[in-house]
Amino acid sequence: MIRVQNLCKTVTSGAQELAILRGINLEIKAGESAAIIGVSGAGKSTLLGLLAGLDNATSGDIYLHGQNISLMTEDQRAALRAQHVGFVFQSFQLLPGLTALENVMLPLELSGHASPETAARVFLEKVDLADRGHHYPRQLSGGEQQRVALARAFAVEPDILFADEPTGNLDEQTGQRIIELLFALNSETRTTLVLVTHEMALAQRCGRQFVMHDGVLTEAVSNAESADTGMKQSSPAQSGELPCA
Amino acid sequence: MRLMMLALRNIRRAWRGGELGLLAFSLTLAVSIVTGIAGFSERLSRGMEQQSHHFLAADRVLKTARTVPDSWLLEAQQRGLKTATVASFRSMIYAGEQMQLASIRAVSDGYPLIGQLGVSDAAFGDAQLVEHGPSAGELWLDSRLLALLDLTTGGEAGVGEADFTVSRALISEPDRGNMNEMLAPRAMINLADLAATKVVQPGSLVRYRYLFAGSEAQLADYENWLTPLLEAGQRWEDVRDGQPAMATTLKRAEGYLLLAASLGVALAGAAIALAARRYGQRNSDNVAVMKTLGARRRQILHHYLAQLALLCAAAIVLGGLLGHGLQWALFASLQGLIDIDIPPPVWRPLLVGAITALLCTAVFALPPVWRLSKVAPLRVLRRDTEDSSEGMVASALIGVTGIGGLMWWYSGNIQLSAALLVASIALGLLATVLVLWLVSQARRLSAGRSRGALRLALAAIYRRRFANAFQVASFALALMTLTSLGLLRANLLVDWQMQLTEGAPNHFLINIQPTEIAPLEGFFQEHGLSNAGLYPMVRGRLTHIDQRAIKDIADIDAERGNVNREINLSWAAELPSDNRIEAGTWWTASDLVATERVPVSVEADLAKQLQLSLGSELSFNIGGQSLVAVVSSIRSLDWSSMRPNFYFIFPPDSLRDYAGSYITSFYLPAAEKPLLTDLLRAFPTMTLIEIDALIAQMNTVVGQVSAAIGLVLALVVVCALLVSVANVQASLDSRLQENAILRALGASRQLIANGLLLEFAAVGFLAGLLAALGSNIALYGVQRWVLDMAPVWHGSVFMVVPVLGAMTMAITGWLYCRVVISTPPLQVLARQ
Ligand SMILES: Nc1ncnc2c1ncn2[C@@H]1O[C@H](COP(=O)(O)OP(=O)(O)OP(=O)(O)O)[C@@H](O)[C@H]1O
Ligand SMILES: [Mg+2]
Repeated sequence: MIRVQNLCKTVTSGAQELAILRGINLEIKAGESAAIIGVSGAGKSTLLGLLAGLDNATSGDIYLHGQNISLMTEDQRAALRAQHVGFVFQSFQLLPGLTALENVMLPLELSGHASPETAARVFLEKVDLADRGHHYPRQLSGGEQQRVALARAFAVEPDILFADEPTGNLDEQTGQRIIELLFALNSETRTTLVLVTHEMALAQRCGRQFVMHDGVLTEAVSNAESADTGMKQSSPAQSGELPCA
Repeated sequence: MRLMMLALRNIRRAWRGGELGLLAFSLTLAVSIVTGIAGFSERLSRGMEQQSHHFLAADRVLKTARTVPDSWLLEAQQRGLKTATVASFRSMIYAGEQMQLASIRAVSDGYPLIGQLGVSDAAFGDAQLVEHGPSAGELWLDSRLLALLDLTTGGEAGVGEADFTVSRALISEPDRGNMNEMLAPRAMINLADLAATKVVQPGSLVRYRYLFAGSEAQLADYENWLTPLLEAGQRWEDVRDGQPAMATTLKRAEGYLLLAASLGVALAGAAIALAARRYGQRNSDNVAVMKTLGARRRQILHHYLAQLALLCAAAIVLGGLLGHGLQWALFASLQGLIDIDIPPPVWRPLLVGAITALLCTAVFALPPVWRLSKVAPLRVLRRDTEDSSEGMVASALIGVTGIGGLMWWYSGNIQLSAALLVASIALGLLATVLVLWLVSQARRLSAGRSRGALRLALAAIYRRRFANAFQVASFALALMTLTSLGLLRANLLVDWQMQLTEGAPNHFLINIQPTEIAPLEGFFQEHGLSNAGLYPMVRGRLTHIDQRAIKDIADIDAERGNVNREINLSWAAELPSDNRIEAGTWWTASDLVATERVPVSVEADLAKQLQLSLGSELSFNIGGQSLVAVVSSIRSLDWSSMRPNFYFIFPPDSLRDYAGSYITSFYLPAAEKPLLTDLLRAFPTMTLIEIDALIAQMNTVVGQVSAAIGLVLALVVVCALLVSVANVQASLDSRLQENAILRALGASRQLIANGLLLEFAAVGFLAGLLAALGSNIALYGVQRWVLDMAPVWHGSVFMVVPVLGAMTMAITGWLYCRVVISTPPLQVLARQ
């Protein structure tokens, strides 16, 4: 479903070159759920943005749904997103001018869904906000806004869902509720899930865990499989060659 | 249909989002102001022009020295035009023992085609208006002729070999004509009696005026047919050619209204630009989200283009309606001040409004929307991916050019549009440079020294430096417009009032013999009249320029150059008070002793027509003797000043050897008109020229025009305020954000309020300074090249406008930013 080869991202600010991602390799199969953890500034959001085709990589390839998005134009990537990708953000990113219902309808409309309103209502129902459809984001609490965002993400029935710290702006209890909802919807729709988070507990609920450290991604192998090493580098950096030269 | 529905739904959503409101408001206001001003000035100037046709007694006049073929008039009648004929000549009028030279008009039955004649039963009596001339056998005489000939109405008088009954005193004619024609008092007969007088012989000097009236289309049609047939000496004229003083007033008024409307367009454009930028900025986040959700660039474009299209259509309809309401309100407020028939509404202003809306949308709103479609989806993760100043210079340039083109199309005056265009570009550049420099200077000075909040504020200003420059530039443009128009209005009014102050001379007296000066001054004193001073005058003809005979100089249009007839020459020791030296120097007593050649000072327009320069040698024929003089100075003067003015002025004594007389002008209130009979009886050889009727006409026009200009100026003030509101609103969002942070960091409300006021006041002050400079420069150009006036420098605006600008900005800013200050910081921060 997702395959990443030698992915590098370097930005130049002023005269300085900053390597944010340094040779990422990754493969996630359909239906799997993966968590990416790591300290702030490690490059987690950058990786997620690249995976979703929101930005161009400096080098390396990303295969999404079997297609190499590194070779696509921005519009082609957008079309791909419309068909296959859903998104949940830390800061919700609802459009302030649209009601909750309209926010959920938006991606349905963009992908040319036959009856966006009906579908949107179904998903609002699933996040328990059926009666708040006509409210604007500013009239909703943070947790409610994030539930609308969840409904919006799942409404298109995406193959892949990206979530960037979906609970980062919420208190623990509300966050917990969002997480339950996320996993419930996920198992219901059998979506491939890529989740960025700080919280170990949350990461543990995913099938696979990756650690991002200083631009390098490492998979934390579950204890049962590899008790002795505990860690398995996913990048070929150890072989000595520089992936991002 | 589906697309339409989608667009409608989108616009409804966007409207609720609030970004669309200001843009819609600015667009609608732009359309209504443009439609309003354009329609008002167009209808008003058409009304004034229609009224001014009274001064011709027709819409067009064909002037000729010979009769024209009857077929010409038949052709005109077949094309639906009304025609009339006026033959004028000079002849003696006899009444008993008395005789007087008169300027006689023989008029056909249709005369006057437009306007009315004022007649009375007694000399200098109250006028009663009639729409026809004398019938066959009747003779109408000017009041002075009645006085000079000792006649009352009902008497008998003869012209040539025909006898007439003097039936009316002729008080006023719509087309009284120029002063030259008025040198002899007027008499009027019917054209049918002309042959019987036998005064018109081959070789006698008769001028014909063929009058035409009809619709503009018919006139243009006929003009096309006629023009190829015209011979030398036959002139097709409209009101502008016939009445120089009136034409100047009308032209200036029209120029002013045009200028005001053009600037109204520019200001509305600036407001739209500001609103559109904000619209773009506010939508960037939305676009990023939409793209993340899979919207393609084309979908984004469609989405926003549909919004703009609907917005534009709504603005045109609503603005057009409001504009017509505005026209109506303007005319209603003028009621009582003007007495002209207002022509019905016309389509052109609505078209101008619609095109303004389309162009402003295309030029100002499309670039931000275009940029929107390029917003990177990554923005959902990293907010700073977009540089907000990117493309601003380009879109500002496109905008200014677009507005310039619009003004050109609307005014048809490329000089005016180009001047304004260049001025606004220069202003924009200057504002940018100045603001960038000041900001970097402030940052440098405060570095390390200032406390937290102030440093944060300065950093914020620095970050917004391009936006700030744009704000200063647009507000400066608004202020400059306002200042220029305000000053110009004052100038025009002063100029007009100078000509037309109560008590300005309304009668000329010429042919005053040197021996009559003392008795005449006695007469004036006795009756408490004041005169404009006595000016010597010698009649002479210009024969040679640099030894080349005038008639051989091919490129001089003798008729227009006023040189093919006797001209009044004068002499003076001092430069007349309202004359100005353009080139050369006025003589001093010592100059005159030193040179043996006679110097002469020439009026500037004539010098240009005759291509004279300092040192040109002129030969005059004065009563058969010749005089050679050298051009020593070139003077400009105001022909509409109603004082004696001269093309050529010589030093005192140089014309001593030639028989001369004196000329004066004086003011006589209408009630004392009968005094003229006494005057003419006491000094029978003097010639009296009455211009009071002409002045009254001028006064009406000036009154109308001043009122109109005042109103249009008020509208431009509204436009300028709109720009300042848009200006404040443009920065509202980022301020809201910054101030929330500042307050969260512990800055007091007071501190933030002061900072805000200071920043707005600074923007206003800077804009005011630039506007003062810009308006002086713009005014110079406009006065010199568009309005044909002498330019004046206005130093006082440097004091007033910056203060005014600072206050306006601060007050508008305060009104809007109360929200910023009173919104709890959490509410703002939570929105992120
Ligand atoms: N366009 C850019 N220009 C400069 N620096 C950038 C750019 N994009 C990312 N960075 C830097 O790269 C690093 C990684 O950023 P990223 O947002 O991926 O971190 P993160 O792991 O998501 O952190 P957090 O947990 O705080 O969200 C940061 O230090 C960030 O400042
Ligand atoms: Mg992050």
